Amino acid sequence: MRPVALILLAALLLMGPEPLSAQNVDESQVGRFQLAESFLRAGQYERAIGMLEGLYEESPGTHVFYERLREAYENVKRYDAAIALVDRKMASETAPTSFLTEKARLLFLKGDEAGARLQWERAIATNPSSPSVYLLVYRSLLQLRLFDYAIEVLEQGRSVIDNDTLFQTDLAYLYNLTSQHGKAVEKYLELLALNQNQLSYVKSQLGAFLTSPEAVQEGIRVAQDGVATDPLNRSYRELLGWLLIEGDDYHEALEVYRGMDRLDREEGRTLFSFALIAADGDAHDVALEAFDEVLRRYPEGSSAPEAMRGLAMMQEKWAAALEETVYDLYGERGERNHWDEALETYQRFLIEYPQHPQFPDVLRRIGTLQQEVFLDLEAAETVLREVVARYPQTDAANQAAYDLGRLAVTQGRLDDARIQFSRLLTRLRTGDLADLARYELAQLHFYQGDFEAADSFTRAMQENTSTDVANDAIAMKVMLIESMGPDSLNTPLRRFARIQLLTRQRDYEAALHQLDDLMVEFGQHALADDMLMQRADLLARTGHIEDAILSYFQVPLLHPDSFHGASSLVQAAALQARSGLTTDAVRTYERVLTEYPGTLLTPRVREAIRVLRGDQT
Amino acid sequence: MITRYIIASVLLVLSTQRTAGAQDILVPMDDVQADHLKAYGVTFWALERKVDVDWLLNYRGGSFLMAAEPEIEAELRVRGVSYEVLGGARTASILSEVESDAANTSVVRLEKPPRIAVYAPEQTLPWDDAVLLALTYAEVPYEMIYDDEVLEGALDEYDWLHLHHEDFTGQFGKFFSYRATPWYIEQQRQAEMTARRHGFRKVSELKLAVVSTIKEYVGGGGFLFAMCSGTDTFDLALAAQQTDIVPSEYDGDPVDPDALSRLDFSQTFAFHEFRPVFNAREYEFSDIDSGPPPQPLRNPAVDYFTLFEFSAKYDQVPTMLTQNHVSTVKGFVGQTTNFRKHLIKPNVVILAEAPGRNEVRYLHGSYGEGTYTFYGGHDPEDYQHFVGEEPTDLSLHKHSPGYRLILNNILFPAAKKKKQKT
Repeated sequence: MRPVALILLAALLLMGPEPLSAQNVDESQVGRFQLAESFLRAGQYERAIGMLEGLYEESPGTHVFYERLREAYENVKRYDAAIALVDRKMASETAPTSFLTEKARLLFLKGDEAGARLQWERAIATNPSSPSVYLLVYRSLLQLRLFDYAIEVLEQGRSVIDNDTLFQTDLAYLYNLTSQHGKAVEKYLELLALNQNQLSYVKSQLGAFLTSPEAVQEGIRVAQDGVATDPLNRSYRELLGWLLIEGDDYHEALEVYRGMDRLDREEGRTLFSFALIAADGDAHDVALEAFDEVLRRYPEGSSAPEAMRGLAMMQEKWAAALEETVYDLYGERGERNHWDEALETYQRFLIEYPQHPQFPDVLRRIGTLQQEVFLDLEAAETVLREVVARYPQTDAANQAAYDLGRLAVTQGRLDDARIQFSRLLTRLRTGDLADLARYELAQLHFYQGDFEAADSFTRAMQENTSTDVANDAIAMKVMLIESMGPDSLNTPLRRFARIQLLTRQRDYEAALHQLDDLMVEFGQHALADDMLMQRADLLARTGHIEDAILSYFQVPLLHPDSFHGASSLVQAAALQARSGLTTDAVRTYERVLTEYPGTLLTPRVREAIRVLRGDQT
Repeated sequence: MITRYIIASVLLVLSTQRTAGAQDILVPMDDVQADHLKAYGVTFWALERKVDVDWLLNYRGGSFLMAAEPEIEAELRVRGVSYEVLGGARTASILSEVESDAANTSVVRLEKPPRIAVYAPEQTLPWDDAVLLALTYAEVPYEMIYDDEVLEGALDEYDWLHLHHEDFTGQFGKFFSYRATPWYIEQQRQAEMTARRHGFRKVSELKLAVVSTIKEYVGGGGFLFAMCSGTDTFDLALAAQQTDIVPSEYDGDPVDPDALSRLDFSQTFAFHEFRPVFNAREYEFSDIDSGPPPQPLRNPAVDYFTLFEFSAKYDQVPTMLTQNHVSTVKGFVGQTTNFRKHLIKPNVVILAEAPGRNEVRYLHGSYGEGTYTFYGGHDPEDYQHFVGEEPTDLSLHKHSPGYRLILNNILFPAAKKKKQKT
């Protein structure tokens, strides 16, 4: 034990700020010191203090005795004794600075703040031209969480030593701790002025503290001043751009990245990177602008092809967000909008970058746009077939094959569609696209009256409820179960399936006509409520809003037990709300709550009522 | 003492106050109720519109009875609260049944909605507050106040004050392991700044001033409801007013070596003879909290507590506070979970306890003209809520018995005829 104790003591001696030789420490002192330590650990401070006082008297030069005794005094809040001890120790030292800061700390704990301040000032006065003195005082103040005073001391040090590069990170940290984020950014800008490579460090430090919008705004303001003062400093601009993105101000950030791009003659690379960030942040309009600018300014730059594709994708997203359409309800071509721009941009891409790796994807996107938005099925087919033929085994080809299948359905080529979907399913087996293809196959069987086959597909799909189409599959299955008969050929369901196919093929007038006939003939069939719902939907699609609302109202009136009762009223209310009939819409929604209190639609209905009422909650 | 809060005379004439032949709405609070929590919100909404509501204690889970108005019916439907429209005869029959001596039921008239204050910092902290969640979900209006407002006398504006995951000892929740995270740094900085602004050197001194003000508020007739660490740290701060129980890691100086002998239990509300935990790294304030259940029971499937049944006619306050559609409530853990029974003062009413463990979950007591209610645990529908976890979505727990206990507390002050002030 004894040699171990000696090693320990020697280690402790060396740990002191000014280690003393252990030559004055005898074995009896080691034993007593260990015992005193045990008392301290056991919380018997007074007994420990007695022993430590004795040890210190015997060997005042042994730093560890001094340290432990001071700590013990502190533990029992005997600050006067601790201060007296420090005074005594200081008297025998040639370099009293650290003892002055120690004394200051103890005075502060005692409650003598003025006395403490005096000691810290004395500590600085011992060598005011030395940065380490200010750091010593700063650390003492940090222990007491006197951040404002610590800032004062470090700023004083910079001023006295006349060196603005001192204590930058310490000051920035302190300013962040005191929520003076603007000043923290100032210090970090100073750091970046010396070394631009510190940008990552600065971002990581700031990121931990800029947790509120106000803090970010404060940082932005200072960074903007920094950029104005030193516009050629790249790291300043990068920091400003990063802060603006943190503050979700993509418009301003675009300006910053635009400036960086020009400044460093990057030919759109920085701007392109920013456009991708903006797109990820759902700032589609800004991303669109950035992509567009890359193309306009640097049509020959390395980022130009991806920028052009990105631009078209943003134009698509913008059109969808604005709910734009190419044709109105009556089939008339509307004014040129973002859909047209997207199509044109994709087409430009094909012309300008025929060898680009994204060529198949862009081609496929054009096909999908032609099919879904511009309703030019012939053009869509040509393009999609090209993708499948020229770029087999690619994601674009798979997606194009799926689109071709859907296109075949729209054009009434159901066998072709089945081949497309079956091949795709064989090729993919699993994944979202495979599930979509499987559902399309179920629908094809349904349209053609092969309800058994449709049912087997839906059964397979409803096993995997995580897929997006699982709900659709379940709905189809319910219809199949409930709507068979009355004859062995299931005539009403077969005709209803045909009407649904016509609806999908956008032949609304024919669908409506056949539906009216079906309703006259089989008005009492289990499908009667489905027919009314379908009719209302077709009327709404053809612009007969009032008739559509009336048709929806007929569902609960004529079929009070219908599964569609609640949803028919919800659809009617939504049409009323869209037509500006707010009071009527609220009344209709309230009917849902009164007449169908158990429906799953109630949360949506309650929310809709509150929105229409203008509730704050 | 308890009957002081009850308007006995109102109860006697209730049946005559309702017009014969008029229709009433019964909001049942038993198992047929579609949304127990929102039912409290609609009741509060009705009170705000000066509609008197009768709380039928122990009748179908503590149902509410109010006059049938089209607006109330519409609101009940919009909020998804089940109700029944009663004819005058049926209402009279129910009231007669409730007031019958044979049944442990009674009627309390709720008159005016209490003004609610929630004691919470503006800073967003990475844990939820069950009361804020309950009030928000039930759509009961409230205001947030914190140290500045309390010390500036804002409590006079409110009838009901809520404290949740708060640390009144000045140890910043004892989240020592989180001391480098921005939210902790900000929380500590804000607390220290507030302390200095009010002339205190330490946060513990600031918090003592806050609890003393709250104590005065309760003494003057206020209603205090506290959960989780807002319960035991409240009494810890009061007991430690002549000493220092905060380790140096939190306030820079050590604990008073004589702290234990200097604790003054005459100052506390509910607890006595307890020992603070002086270890800065131990996530516990004192031995008041028995901590999570022992390992075999630390399982949401088997951890539960039971509500005491009181005489609805004579002990109406505890009866109101324990209204529920179940008598056994599933347990949940918090920084403070259950209170050790032997550390509870004898004059405190125990409302719920963990069976067979000598641990109390829910208690109530009075001080001066006011009352306090302490409820252990953090979130009744999140067995063990961790820092940084998403708040509980109460739309998935519309029938939560644990949350009902919270909402009983906000209606209980409405039963008082008028605020009594010293």
